[in-house]
Amino acid sequence: MKTLFVNIRYLIVPIMSIGTIYGLIIGGLYIWTGVFLFGLCIILDTITKNIHLKADFDKNGNSYGIKSLQYAIMYLMLFVFIALQLALAWRIYQYVNTTAFDTSIIYGLTIQNGITTINLIGAVISAGLWAGIGIIYGHELSHNKKQGFLMSRLIMSLSGASHFTYAHVYQHHLHLGNEDDPATAPRGRNIYMHTWLSHAGQCKFSYDLEKSRLEKQEKPFLSLSNKWILGYIYSLPSVILFIWAGGFLGLAALLTLWIIANFELEALNFMGHYGLIRGKGKNVEHRHSWDNDSVFTDWFFIAIGRQADHHVRGETYFWELDDVKGPNYGIGYFSLFLITLIPPLFRKYVKKHLDNWDTNFANDEEKKIAQQF
Amino acid sequence: MFKFLKKKNKNFKAIINSSMYKIDVKSGQNLLSAALLQGIPWPHKCRVGSCGTCKCIVLKGTIKPEIDFANVLNAEQLKAGYVLACKTALKSDIEVIVKIIK
Repeated sequence: MKTLFVNIRYLIVPIMSIGTIYGLIIGGLYIWTGVFLFGLCIILDTITKNIHLKADFDKNGNSYGIKSLQYAIMYLMLFVFIALQLALAWRIYQYVNTTAFDTSIIYGLTIQNGITTINLIGAVISAGLWAGIGIIYGHELSHNKKQGFLMSRLIMSLSGASHFTYAHVYQHHLHLGNEDDPATAPRGRNIYMHTWLSHAGQCKFSYDLEKSRLEKQEKPFLSLSNKWILGYIYSLPSVILFIWAGGFLGLAALLTLWIIANFELEALNFMGHYGLIRGKGKNVEHRHSWDNDSVFTDWFFIAIGRQADHHVRGETYFWELDDVKGPNYGIGYFSLFLITLIPPLFRKYVKKHLDNWDTNFANDEEKKIAQQF
Repeated sequence: MFKFLKKKNKNFKAIINSSMYKIDVKSGQNLLSAALLQGIPWPHKCRVGSCGTCKCIVLKGTIKPEIDFANVLNAEQLKAGYVLACKTALKSDIEVIVKIIK
């Protein structure tokens, strides 16, 4: 029973993503299902913020998580995110071709054909919000075996962010907490500025990494061995689909989806390390990441919020990550995300946590660096 | 209920620095985590294959690289047979050399 519970609790995103696709297909006001569900998550996360659970292990110290099942779910999510884009593209096609407003019944489902401008906006936001959640699978798979790494790249490429897989492993994990890591937001930076700087910095790193790898292997930069270029090629089917569905409007919709998705991705980076400091080349310790492990955040984001443990034991599967008493905001990602959207409010909120970090977590070198901010 | 999904264990042995240490590497474990769990002070830092601190040379046996080592190791190191222990699964018993600093 415990095994069942531990393994199904991470199904919130698959179920809600499918719900979002269902809403896009059914049409009418249901188009907004994705936005509604995201709002529901904010409420659930906020009201359960004080519930924190430990990872579950049996009396022999073995995890209840079933790797093959969790991996199957993560791999299947690639197809769910593809379906999400197909559903949105279909709605854009209907809008551009001014499909008549009527209903049809397909396999017992009553589908409202045609879409208004306001509902089209809802469709793009719904799809963007849930496409962005793909990061949780892209992230987990980036740390695992070769086929998982490729799946990570494919999932991230649906959001135009296949650079993430390389930058996260080879740059963020190595340099977090200092200026060599664009994904670590220094004190004073807001989430909007961070999104662009982090995205650009990680793209550049992926380019440099691949250039260096190809040089070592004496291969030409312009070739299909170039994984930096391949990452963008993986995004091409989405571009072709949306241009086919709606021309310039379709492309604008896809770009909006990518902006929303990348904003969510960078929001997670922002919340995970904002203002924390680590001396260059020093070992990564639990204190170099913010933990967000309230129960809803933990289950929804497949434990991506257990950053402190993850950055020290990067090879550990998400269901085995635990509370290691790292610095903690005390609230979940959804609640904190809302606060980050208003930079003055975020700075006010985070000040007491940074003061606590400076006093109780930082070593002398880190305290010295902190004084420069 | 889900026992049928659990993989059967296939364990191998790793001989480190000409029998200085002998460890068991369980199915699903990488070389570094197996060594650390068995108390060997194997040098490491990031544990995700990005820093290169855990590099070692495989003398005998077959391994399964979990990432492309060329992202971290240079051409000479690759030619010399270096691998990253944190991203090395075993396909057979192996012998390795690693610089251990006590």
